[in-house]
Amino acid sequence: MKSNLYNHTFFISIIAALLLCTNGIAQQIDLSNYSMRFVFKTVKQADNTRLLEVSFIGFNDNDRKDKIPVFGAEIQFLNVLNDEEILLGSSKTSKEGTAQLILPENQKYVTDEEGYINLKARFNSTDALSEEVADIMVKDLHLDLNLSEIDSVKTVTLTAFTVNSLGDKIPVSELDVIINLNTMLSKMNISEGTIIDGTYTFEMTESFAGNTKGELAISAVIEDNDEYGNIIQEKKVQWGTITKQVKANDHSLWTKAAPIWMYVVLSILLLGVYINFIYTIVNLVKIKREGDNIKTEPRKNYTVY
Amino acid sequence: MDIQSRKRELFKEFAPRLETTSLATKIYIGFLVAIILVGIYAFYLQMAKGQIVTGMRDNVVWGIYEVNFILLVCISYSGAFISGILHFFHTPWKTAIARIVEIITVLSLLIGPIYILLCMGRLDRLHYLFMYPRIQSPITWDIIAIITDIVACFIYLYLTFIPDFAILRDHCEERKIPKWVKKLYKTLAIGYQDTKTQRDRLHKITRIMSTIVIVLAIVAYTVLAWIFSLTLQPGWNSTIFAPYFIVGGLFSGVAFIIVTMFLVRKFYKLEKYIRKMHFKVGGIILLILAMLYGYFTFTEYFSRWFSHKEIDTNLLDALFTRYFWVFIFANYVGILVPIGILFFKKFRTINWVTIASVIALVGIWLNRYLIVIPTLETPYVPIQDTRIDYIFYSASWVEIALSFAGVAAFLLMFTLIGKVVPLVPMNYILDSHFTTKKVKQKVNKEISE
Repeated sequence: MKSNLYNHTFFISIIAALLLCTNGIAQQIDLSNYSMRFVFKTVKQADNTRLLEVSFIGFNDNDRKDKIPVFGAEIQFLNVLNDEEILLGSSKTSKEGTAQLILPENQKYVTDEEGYINLKARFNSTDALSEEVADIMVKDLHLDLNLSEIDSVKTVTLTAFTVNSLGDKIPVSELDVIINLNTMLSKMNISEGTIIDGTYTFEMTESFAGNTKGELAISAVIEDNDEYGNIIQEKKVQWGTITKQVKANDHSLWTKAAPIWMYVVLSILLLGVYINFIYTIVNLVKIKREGDNIKTEPRKNYTVY
Repeated sequence: MDIQSRKRELFKEFAPRLETTSLATKIYIGFLVAIILVGIYAFYLQMAKGQIVTGMRDNVVWGIYEVNFILLVCISYSGAFISGILHFFHTPWKTAIARIVEIITVLSLLIGPIYILLCMGRLDRLHYLFMYPRIQSPITWDIIAIITDIVACFIYLYLTFIPDFAILRDHCEERKIPKWVKKLYKTLAIGYQDTKTQRDRLHKITRIMSTIVIVLAIVAYTVLAWIFSLTLQPGWNSTIFAPYFIVGGLFSGVAFIIVTMFLVRKFYKLEKYIRKMHFKVGGIILLILAMLYGYFTFTEYFSRWFSHKEIDTNLLDALFTRYFWVFIFANYVGILVPIGILFFKKFRTINWVTIASVIALVGIWLNRYLIVIPTLETPYVPIQDTRIDYIFYSASWVEIALSFAGVAAFLLMFTLIGKVVPLVPMNYILDSHFTTKKVKQKVNKEISE
């Protein structure tokens, strides 16, 4: 029998080509249509480490939804003072186009005369991509989160200060802060306000369940401040109010004695059914009597169906 | 032809089977009696030596006796339900199958509860159930429901028999029928002469009883399901068990009726009355019920699997390991194959519908087995330091012998009833004959006017 495959050579060839050449349909990307975005930010984290993060993504000029993260680009993070550049470390961008570097709590930075830390992120040019540089200036702000009960009132006290060259704590003012309760999936905003004379106090009157240990994770966040950047401070406290299930889940069956309603309902049901049985038997007796009468009386008196 | 001549003619048609017993029938009856005798010996052993001769032990306290009980009682309830429906709605094709359904109802209700008695370790304490009943126990509800249902079914069956007993009484004198049978006809006919008042009265009470029988069947089905679902056992504690039992019971009942119709048609030569149309309608009803039953089965197991409770997981593990093939036959082959056969119009023939019914019956027996035994093998309290035969159940020859004895007793009683009364009700044939005649006369009159 001749195979039908020979009748469709063209289609079979295309299918075979597609099967054999997995890269055959990949498109060549024209980078001239893309604008590169090189965003650098820093966050001082709850454990006082500092996160340096670069996002390196190309956006299509014609379609802003079309974006290509740059993968594997080496980013250098530098601490700059005047012309002096101190390499803090380097990191390669991930598949999402993000490069991160976490600097320890005891990291020494060089600062300018006003106390600013100048940070720079740099990507050195390659054949395909040109050089990208971004810098940030932030002051090192310290947040001290104190969670205590004052006169039985759960009180959140946040102290914000900087440390000068002599080691003195200098309180800061006019700084917006958000107090969050960290939940499983997101952060719940429980208070917002402004730090004045280095302090912000918030009384927590609402009750929250917390985690299984009864702990609440409370965080103070300063976001995108021109002078201090992003700072997060977080602490856990045993303030959770758990409602425990008091009733034990015992598996006993129902009751020792039947309730009255059960006797009543069952009696009515059974009575209804058995009354019908009696009614049927009574009717059968009537049928029998009529039959007996036919035997004794002349048959003509009855209409036979 | 007047009604009396028609009655005579019908009696003439059915009398030979009542008068004589063929050699083949005698051998068949002897065979059934032999099986019952083996069953009686097995019963004696069980009474003398106790439950040790069965596969039932401390954990699995219900074995295939309980499975037989559920199957037979469900068949009975579904017979009552279908019979009630046939009578209540004056179904035109009830003539051929009504009596078969009624006999099935009563016989399975007589034999079924015997199996539950066989599960009891101390039958000598049976009367305690009536002396010290706990009215809050579903077992007590079930006893009440079954007893009430037996009474109702007997009365209903008797009511449908009365006109036939009258015909048999009036015409049996001319035939070679044993004297005691003639006397029986006379007694059971209770002087019924088919007068208008007698007929109206009988119709009225039969109609009322048919309604009661339908309601009682639903109540009894539900209570039977509650015996399981009101416990906390895995696989039983389910809110849909009552409707699931009703649908499953109807499914098994219809399948059983179809198989019985096939056998009665073949061995009693009733092709004239039990026609292809009956199998076709039966097949469609079975198809609908199979789909409903499949839906309930899927819902039941799916929700159990999805909730992922540890005890349910253990049960499902057992079903998919030790009971894999039983599970596949009960819940796939036993449901999908009948659907596959009955879905196509060309397969709705007498033979194919009967084959589908046999598969459905085997499937539902296995389904009942899977409801009872694996659950009892998966208790909440861990089983430790015990013999393997105390944990897992397998039926002993005693249980198998008593199961077959039940089937043999059913067949024997069915055969004996068939020797006393025709299996196709003569009064229904007369009813349908004269109703058709009346309708024709009415139509002709209207046309001529």
